[in-house]
Amino acid sequence: MVDDVKAKDKEVIKRLEGLGTGIFEQIEKGKEPAIELPVRNLGNIFFDKKSKTIKLGDKTSQRQFLNIAHTRKFMQTALVASEIKKIINQDATTSIRDLYYALKHTIADTNENTFEEQGESDPLIEDIEAGLDLLREELHLAASSKGVIVGDMKIKDGKDTIDLTKMGSGGWGIPSNVEPERIQIKDLSADYVLFIEKDAVWKRFNEDIFWKKNKCIIITGRGQPSRAERRFVQRLNKEFDLPVLALMDADPWGMYIYSVIKQGSISLSYSEEKLATPDTKYIGLTVKDVETFKIPKEVTIKLNQLDVKRLNEMKNYEWFKTKEWQNEFALMKEKAIKLELEALSKKGIRFITETYLPEKMKSKDFLP
Amino acid sequence: MASDDFFDSKQEMPVLPAKDSIAKIEEAKAPAKEAEAKAPAKAEKKTLKEKEDDNGYPALTAEELAKEFKEHSVAEFFKKNRQMLGLTGKIRTLTTIVHEYVSNSLDACEESGILPEIEVKITELGEEYYEIMVKDNGPGLTKETLGKALGQLLAGTKFHRMMQMRGQQGIGAAGCTMLSLITTGKQIQVISGTAKHTPFMAEMTIDPKKNEPKIIKIEEIKKEFLGLAIKAKFKDVKYQKSEQSPLEYLRRTAIANPHAKIIFTDPFGEKSVFERTSKTIPQRPVEVKPHPKGVTVDELLTMAKATQARKISSFLKSDFDRMGDKAIEEIEKQASFDLNKDPKKMSWEEAEEIIKCFKTMNFIAPSTEGLSPIGEERITASLKGIVEPEFLSVLTRKPTVYKGGFSFQVEAAIAYGGNAGKSSGEKDENTGQEIKRVEVMRFANRVPLLFDAGGCALSKAVQGLDWKRYAIKNLDNAPLTVFVHMLSVHIPYTGAGKQAVSDEEEVMEELRLALMQAARQIMRHIAGKRRQQEKEQKKKLFMKYATEVAIALHELTGKKKDEIEKKLHAIVLKKLKLEEKMEKDLEQKTDEEIAAELEKEAAKEKKQSKKKKPKAGGEEDSE
Repeated sequence: MVDDVKAKDKEVIKRLEGLGTGIFEQIEKGKEPAIELPVRNLGNIFFDKKSKTIKLGDKTSQRQFLNIAHTRKFMQTALVASEIKKIINQDATTSIRDLYYALKHTIADTNENTFEEQGESDPLIEDIEAGLDLLREELHLAASSKGVIVGDMKIKDGKDTIDLTKMGSGGWGIPSNVEPERIQIKDLSADYVLFIEKDAVWKRFNEDIFWKKNKCIIITGRGQPSRAERRFVQRLNKEFDLPVLALMDADPWGMYIYSVIKQGSISLSYSEEKLATPDTKYIGLTVKDVETFKIPKEVTIKLNQLDVKRLNEMKNYEWFKTKEWQNEFALMKEKAIKLELEALSKKGIRFITETYLPEKMKSKDFLP
Repeated sequence: MASDDFFDSKQEMPVLPAKDSIAKIEEAKAPAKEAEAKAPAKAEKKTLKEKEDDNGYPALTAEELAKEFKEHSVAEFFKKNRQMLGLTGKIRTLTTIVHEYVSNSLDACEESGILPEIEVKITELGEEYYEIMVKDNGPGLTKETLGKALGQLLAGTKFHRMMQMRGQQGIGAAGCTMLSLITTGKQIQVISGTAKHTPFMAEMTIDPKKNEPKIIKIEEIKKEFLGLAIKAKFKDVKYQKSEQSPLEYLRRTAIANPHAKIIFTDPFGEKSVFERTSKTIPQRPVEVKPHPKGVTVDELLTMAKATQARKISSFLKSDFDRMGDKAIEEIEKQASFDLNKDPKKMSWEEAEEIIKCFKTMNFIAPSTEGLSPIGEERITASLKGIVEPEFLSVLTRKPTVYKGGFSFQVEAAIAYGGNAGKSSGEKDENTGQEIKRVEVMRFANRVPLLFDAGGCALSKAVQGLDWKRYAIKNLDNAPLTVFVHMLSVHIPYTGAGKQAVSDEEEVMEELRLALMQAARQIMRHIAGKRRQQEKEQKKKLFMKYATEVAIALHELTGKKKDEIEKKLHAIVLKKLKLEEKMEKDLEQKTDEEIAAELEKEAAKEKKQSKKKKPKAGGEEDSE
């Protein structure tokens, strides 16, 4: 396995050097240097019906050194590429924040920094990943992760083996690199994975030992999940054939997070095949639940302008163009309400774990 | 000769003891009360009301007016009409006094073909008590002309002349003598030297009852001197450093009279010298015959009484501009009376009839000859010398006519950057430079207008221009000095204070065109400057990033950093040179294109400032 890694590193370095050589050759010829990169926005992604994930299209754009609007980014892209090469050569793995600080310095004779904030370097890493067709892990970079998970299984992380039934109230913190070379999943005994949007709700499920009673794995990404949580869920789904169910707020944001788990996100569209879990289903909450479970009106929230705008956008996303989702959006717009997971506590603290979830599981009233 | 020892101050003495002076004023008040009591006299006057002219002024002839002066105390008239005489307000009064003396000096010098050098000194003697000294190098006064010039009100010939003149603001130099007397009880001192006579020194005042000069002392002096120097004291006036101070008046006078050198010493002893920037004396404006469309009933009667002609028909033909035989025939047809009548016997009603005729008839527009603009070259020189702007745009329009009867001409200049504009006292947070505000200088017949800006056509024209179209985002906070000059045989002042021009349609249009043309030059300058700045910023930007790119490429490829940097620099310079060439083509662009470009740029700037911090690439991945 070590040899595989070495070979991969060599390949990655070759591609990074290739990027540099491409620019250098343009300069040698006296041409205005430019880097060609895939366009990573809504205009250049498509929903691949075969893999059922979002994929990057083949539109590219030129990042030109002599264009006022591009020049800073051009300089930064070159710096990011050179720094990644250094990191790999040192056989280290760093966080993207480390990378930002490593590259941040004052440009000679100015009071300007190469980077002012991490928000400037992060998208350039994604540019390089997409442009050189590499995964972040292959670049020896780790994104911070924040998700936690418990359930009946064991994890082998290097020399350590961790029993995920004995994680107390906090759960196991998912590391940023969950690739099989690093993390192995063993002795799994569960029927499905429950992906919970919010940490507080996840804690309720953990405290009530829901996972044990219902033979499932419970995981949260604490809001918008990062790649590690999504990659881990994909592995559970692919390696153990576990269905994934998502429990989200009934609002445009919760529903969008669901779609990211299922099909992937726009900005990471170039590696969604390794991150998305198309088998995911939406268990709740839905606007219909308000009626079905007789949830009092006063705990619902009125939709605001921004919600409506987002709803209208999402309605047009290819992957939401199913009858069920279009109906759900229409109903939400009609009722003009949204509902948070925590609102179910109005019906009793354990209503969500003891009534809502079991009944939903029984009725199989899921959204695709 | 230093002005300080010019007059021997020991020689002065009051004309009247202070007590007498008070008595005098009491006495002067009496006739007014009497007049009020005389109700029948008032009723009698009402019949005169029928004779009101178009402007609603009581239609008194100049003669009648003069008679009234004599009947009442002149001092009384003075006090009653301070506003009309430009003597309201303590600050304004002081500036008006300076104006009267200085414009007299300028006129006298020009008439004699002398390049004026005028020295003004104001000394504070006590609370609201000042002494003003004005000295010129003009032709001077003789012992014979002295009294009439400085000791008799309305003695001048300046009224009702169809000629571009500086004009009095109401009182003239004799009025100042009067004002000095009634506020301080003191005489004025004069030193005069003419080319032919031995210089003399005089102390004089005015007899307010008789409106006659009163020479107290006159003696020849041994000093060699050519010109006129006057020293007078005034109370109830105030010197204040402001935009309406004598200093600002003189600064602007110097701008509009580039052939004059003006030296001013303020009450704090601070001396300002405005150097001459032109050595040519302006061409004297020519007196023109009045145009029939620009004359009032009263003026017509006054002219009729003074004419040499024996018949009204020949009077009209000889004394008016553009009056041909056909016009006379037309009037003959319309008039109810015989035009062979002696013009001196013309009645008010008959004069009115003639004016009515004039209004219905078509005349060729008046000749625009005889106007004497300052000229673009001279305005440029004086603004460069006195305002010291970074860029200057000057325009003299062709003369034209308003109301069909009066010729006029407009000059406009816009000074940008450098020392242009007035100080705000605030500093820019970013650059540390002082923030400038717009300064609008109005002039009528070379005289600065410092008061009543609000209602003035000249200010309205400046405020009314769409400055945004000319790359000036906010006029109030722009580093601009806007110069607007209207010259005419008859300036249409809004009021007796003669500080604001009324907004005649044709005048407004000329002002607008002049300002637009001048502003266009400013816009081009700003656009060019901005391009230059942008280019330099761009170069700096590319050069500094080139170093970073070279470091990164060195890491990635192992090639030498310095070589990469050198080559990158060459590419940057090549690119910028190419752009420069394209800019040269841009200079062929029309104003509209440049304006559109500036607008686009402004919109872009706005957008950028609105834009928040650079967004993280992914809209949803917060990792």
